[in-house]
Amino acid sequence: MRSVKSFSELAAAAIASLAIASAAHAAPQGYLETIHKHSTLGSTVTENGDLNPYAVVVAPVSAGKILKDDVLVDNFNNISNLQGTGATIVDYNPTTRQTKLFAQVPQKLAQCPGGVGLSTAMTMLKSGWIIVGSTPSTDGTTATKGDGCVLVLDPNGKLVATWSGPTINDPWGNMAVIDNGATATLFISMAGFGIPGPDVTDPATGYPVIVRKATVLRLELSIPDGKPPALLSQTVVGDGFAQRADRDNFLFGPTGLALGKDGALYVTDGLDNVITAIPDAVTRTASAGTGRVVTQGSLLAWPLAMAWTPEGHLLVCNGKNGQLVEVDPASGKQIYAQWIDSDQAQSPPGNGDLFGLAMTPDGTGFYYVEDDVNTLVKASR
Amino acid sequence: MSGPGDEGPVASRRALLGGAAGLIGAAGAAAVSNAPARAATPKSQIEPFWGPNQAGIVTPAQTHSYFAAFDLATTKREDVVALLRAWTDAAAKLTAGQGLEAQTADPAAPGADSGETLGLPPSRLTLTFGFGAGLFTKDGADRYGLAKLRPEALIDLPRFNGDQLIVERTGGDLSVQACADDPQVAFHAVRQLSRLADGVAHIRWAQPGFIGGYGAGETPRNLMGFKDGTMNPLISDPKLMKQFVWVGDDGGWMRGGSYLIARPIRIALEHWDRMKVSFQEQTFGRQKASGAALGKTHEFEALDLDAVDKDGNPVVPENAHARLGAPATNDGAQVLRRSYSYDNGLSFVAERWPPWRQGMEFDAGLLFLCYQRDPRTGFVKIFENMAKFDMLNQFATHIGGGLFACPGGAAKGEFIGQRLLLTA
Repeated sequence: MRSVKSFSELAAAAIASLAIASAAHAAPQGYLETIHKHSTLGSTVTENGDLNPYAVVVAPVSAGKILKDDVLVDNFNNISNLQGTGATIVDYNPTTRQTKLFAQVPQKLAQCPGGVGLSTAMTMLKSGWIIVGSTPSTDGTTATKGDGCVLVLDPNGKLVATWSGPTINDPWGNMAVIDNGATATLFISMAGFGIPGPDVTDPATGYPVIVRKATVLRLELSIPDGKPPALLSQTVVGDGFAQRADRDNFLFGPTGLALGKDGALYVTDGLDNVITAIPDAVTRTASAGTGRVVTQGSLLAWPLAMAWTPEGHLLVCNGKNGQLVEVDPASGKQIYAQWIDSDQAQSPPGNGDLFGLAMTPDGTGFYYVEDDVNTLVKASR
Repeated sequence: MSGPGDEGPVASRRALLGGAAGLIGAAGAAAVSNAPARAATPKSQIEPFWGPNQAGIVTPAQTHSYFAAFDLATTKREDVVALLRAWTDAAAKLTAGQGLEAQTADPAAPGADSGETLGLPPSRLTLTFGFGAGLFTKDGADRYGLAKLRPEALIDLPRFNGDQLIVERTGGDLSVQACADDPQVAFHAVRQLSRLADGVAHIRWAQPGFIGGYGAGETPRNLMGFKDGTMNPLISDPKLMKQFVWVGDDGGWMRGGSYLIARPIRIALEHWDRMKVSFQEQTFGRQKASGAALGKTHEFEALDLDAVDKDGNPVVPENAHARLGAPATNDGAQVLRRSYSYDNGLSFVAERWPPWRQGMEFDAGLLFLCYQRDPRTGFVKIFENMAKFDMLNQFATHIGGGLFACPGGAAKGEFIGQRLLLTA
């Protein structure tokens, strides 16, 4: 929690020790050791009380109310604190340092089964359209979850299209995107298939039952000039990912997506504590299952959103302990971790606080959210 | 000096039913003590009702409170006048330990007093009345021709970060703070006032509260286990009260009054109880046992906000509750806190932090009450920053409340708010 400055400094100390332990007097091994500053940029709570910030997206262009390099953050909860009920997106401008409400979607939408609870699946296209997933509930648990939908907003925050159907079930994790302007390809994890409520437990473990029906869906879009994106085709490129309900974290399922230059789509799955790679994700016509294991366990602790460093490493948010893990996907080596949220109000410190992650446009730092104190934070050199 | 158990001559309500004026004067002294908290006083003591300031503000805190807000239903100013006159008369009797029953009650009619304080001592009952914005304008309507007299300081409170105000527990056109050393006496008083308001105003929300039976001069502990109120301005210092609490001569009808912020703050006690004591102390910026600031030994030693440890980190963390609330952090701003813990049993709660626990939890916390000369330079100034950055916000949620202009006190024959209601 970066708003607690003394904790920032504690975290900085933790960073140093973690980094130096493996990198003492050696050439830089990765990106995280260059990151030393963490600054709270502002609150992400909206006037209507929405909270629990999830997705972090940096605007690629100026359009409508949005200026290039603005940071968009959506909220998963409304003022009731129940997960899967948030319906707002805020816009932080790095120049003015002001955070404004960008969009407020109706919480009940006939076209969006179950309503609206904005998830980490969000992007802004070069054409100015904002696409965001809904993973809704009415009681804050998957017992009342709906299938949700994918929402399309114009750059003034107006809802212009809603996509739902049998392939769309709780669009959940951060998107991977290829944006060619007039066409675009989105990868979205669908984490909701077949998840019961958190009270349906497995007698063997005592935890909610695990199902393995989650998918990663590829969506091909055409974006006619001046018109909203149209959904051309959908392909399930990965399936069989582990999921289960969780009273604290709403659900576990495939979450972080990152598309490599090699055409592989990297996927985090918190329950199996793993990063896998789906080969030829852009071109494949059938599912690769869960793909090839890149790395598992060790520093990973419920990995969530991912982002690429300029050097081609993956930064991975840990859900369980507020740490950010740097992974070299080529070798599968976990380089080190930095404790970017060490709030002791959770156990272990930072547990449940991280989610969305996005690199700054110049690559010298990254933005992330802290769900414990509802803030947007910038990490920099 | 009286200690606990030294009740002195007991003035029971039964004895006072016919009017026992002699006792009133005798027990009316010593309303102000040096103690930052309540003084250990006999329950027989009567807090004087009449005077230039309302009682219950710089009165040493009683052990119990019952706070209530009312909405006015009438459209006629004379009804409001009649209500305030009736409340004033009733308050004078109730605080003096008398009931509202007529000397010869009619057994064929409902009693004028519900009767549950018969036999109980006055218990230092105070009744403090306030006016919400709705007395002046409501939904754009100037119901009583008072809109032009709404003081600038009676602002619409801004929304603070983290506020989760429940409409049914927020606002109100009139407020009543009843405080007594006996919970039944405090509740009884509001119950009678509510009944007197029948047809003119209806009760909107209410919150009982309590303070543990700490000795004289001891700062009470809140439900988080920490001393609460150490940095309060001394109620025994009239200069400080004039500076921070009482509206001055430039206040028009509010002179001699004070602005009350009342906010029920739910505390996630289950979450708090899981925290390491050292983290709790970092959160408050104080040591749990002694109440001393971090880095200090004694409770009343001044905070050293500049002290740093060997690594250069502040000894009192940047976002510690005590630092953010300190006058030095707020350009000298101070309010007089007069809060009570509350316990409403259990309720279904969804917490607003990871791990997003939900279930039956203690519906308990703090009824935060503070008085000030002007909320813009008091609570609003101090809390604006705290609402965003106080570490304590991870355990505390403001769920209701309001701002009330508590006018000056009444002289015998007057009623509370007369200067407002009869001069407009």
